Amino acid sequence: MTTRTVLIAAALAVAVALVGYEANRFWAYLIYAVAISSIGAMSLNLLIGFCGQITFAQGALIGVGAYTAGNLGNAGWGALSLLGAGLCGALASALIGLPALRLRGLYFAISTLAAQFIFSYLFKILQPLTNGVSGLVVKPLVLFGRPVASDQEYAVISIVLLFLSWLFLSRLAQTDVGRALLVIRESELVARGMGIDVSRTKMKAFLVSGFFAGLCGGLLAFTSRFANPEAFEIGLSVDQTAMIIVGGLGSLAGSVIGAVFVTLLPEAIQRLGELMPSADLVSAFREMAFGVLIILFLLLEPRGLVSLGQRLRSRWSGSKSNAGTAVTIPLRDRSRTFAMPAFNRRKV
Amino acid sequence: MTFALQLSIAGIATGSVYALIALGIVLIYKCSGVVNFAQGAYAMLGAYVTYALLRVGLPAFAAVLLGMVLMAGIGVLTERLALRVMLKAPIVSIMMVTLGLLIFLRAFCLAIWGPDQIAFPQIFPAGAIDVAGIYLTYNYIAAFVLATTLSIAFLCFYRFTSIGLMQRCAADNSRAALAIGIHVSNQVSIAWAASAALAGLGGVLLATLGGLSLGISDIGLIAFPVIVVGGLDSLIGALIAGFLLGMLEAFTEGMLTPGLEDILRRFTTIQSVGALQQVIPYALLVLMLLVRPQGIFGRSGTERV
Repeated sequence: MTTRTVLIAAALAVAVALVGYEANRFWAYLIYAVAISSIGAMSLNLLIGFCGQITFAQGALIGVGAYTAGNLGNAGWGALSLLGAGLCGALASALIGLPALRLRGLYFAISTLAAQFIFSYLFKILQPLTNGVSGLVVKPLVLFGRPVASDQEYAVISIVLLFLSWLFLSRLAQTDVGRALLVIRESELVARGMGIDVSRTKMKAFLVSGFFAGLCGGLLAFTSRFANPEAFEIGLSVDQTAMIIVGGLGSLAGSVIGAVFVTLLPEAIQRLGELMPSADLVSAFREMAFGVLIILFLLLEPRGLVSLGQRLRSRWSGSKSNAGTAVTIPLRDRSRTFAMPAFNRRKV
Repeated sequence: MTFALQLSIAGIATGSVYALIALGIVLIYKCSGVVNFAQGAYAMLGAYVTYALLRVGLPAFAAVLLGMVLMAGIGVLTERLALRVMLKAPIVSIMMVTLGLLIFLRAFCLAIWGPDQIAFPQIFPAGAIDVAGIYLTYNYIAAFVLATTLSIAFLCFYRFTSIGLMQRCAADNSRAALAIGIHVSNQVSIAWAASAALAGLGGVLLATLGGLSLGISDIGLIAFPVIVVGGLDSLIGALIAGFLLGMLEAFTEGMLTPGLEDILRRFTTIQSVGALQQVIPYALLVLMLLVRPQGIFGRSGTERV
């Protein structure tokens, strides 16, 4: 990541935030919905795309964040409640990640599936904290001593937090820890041989990923003013995984692109669906399109939209240079794994 | 005592259906290395298709059989169209394809049959028999007998026929199978056909027990504890673990939940523990993975996938 990339991203963030501040409520809603899902998708991509730990418990982590933020916010913690949401998310994520120290691949994925179900059960029965199935009503976020009430302000806050999260995660990807994650993804055996403490590094990934998932959940709770168990079921995990697959595994920019795509798709179909006779049919059609799109993407563009963009760009400029692709090497492309330009520069 | 027996009967009946679904997932996993999250969707679709055939006026036997054949066709179709292309893809992509399939099929049934629960036509005689104070409804008996017979018949097919031998060979070592002239990709298709048909029947049985709704597709995810406890690559394990978990669920619902709620009400403000029977199997799953990842009947070494 060069200074230029940061500047471009910052300019983009400012531009979108300005648009969000000036736009009407609907556009502001779209902007913060996309920004919040992007934070979640980036955190998930850190685990699945970078570290290779497949997890289906993302919905549960977002839920933990939402309930934490909701309770702390209602108790008057203000902006600190978002921090608390992140920390609780990190804790829960470390808990869910514990089996990863023993299990690999598919088996770990199944254990996270179990964790997802156990958490959504807990959301339902822990009445004092979550208010059960009826859901927890969340007061508006209090920032600098006054409550944030308008959707436009939430759009700005979400964009700012998205930019900061992106900055942190893309910096992280370029540190020793970030590179160690990529080695673990390719082969734990090799990682161990290189002197990487696999368990410790995995745990770091779980903690960081959990923090941002919790932050995403916290923002979700404040913007929707409501947290109910149905919102954080396995479906949310699937949505988030769909985002990183559509966007591109192992790419932060891809996570954002995927979040845009997956969040706006239902909106677009809803618009089209207003021509249809019944609401049931619209939601059925929306789900069908979602399922088909996931399958088609995996079949036709398995490396996601971001690789499509890269190919177009390299065709455009006619050069084959792949500067800075350390982050976006596709999974399973073993021939290139250890020839990454950025990788050899420094010892891991 | 009577109550405990009554619970075991209910547990065994649902457990036999779990076994049927789990068998299909294990079969696909053994043969093609794909963990099929869409198995529950096959069960749901099988139930709806059979319902449609019954509505058309086919006799029950023919409708169930034709439903299974149609499901086998759909199984082959999905394997050829979606999964074969994904052979070399990373494991998360393959999982997501089957999840996409689950979403699609659910929405498909929602579009055609609507979100409400439908009363499934009576295909087994109504009523119950009374054995020493325990009521056995014909639905339970039929579900148990059909599911168990079919599972065992399937295991025998896998064990003793030549196609079964080729199946095992292809699952064990696909390269060696290719070398001795077995058409491995056809074997994979057969596995998908068989497991989709089994799931379809399982769906019909579930519909006779608890009505026809989109919720039947959840069985695909409920089956995962069964598979892990039994061993991801063991067909016998899936069968036995199916019964075990069916019983566990029935006893949790009938005995543990009321007891636990009594205690909780006395000491906390929590009024109900909700659907505890749906979560206990997952807790068992996590425990099993930590203690013995290959399951009770699995071969060790399979956890390094």
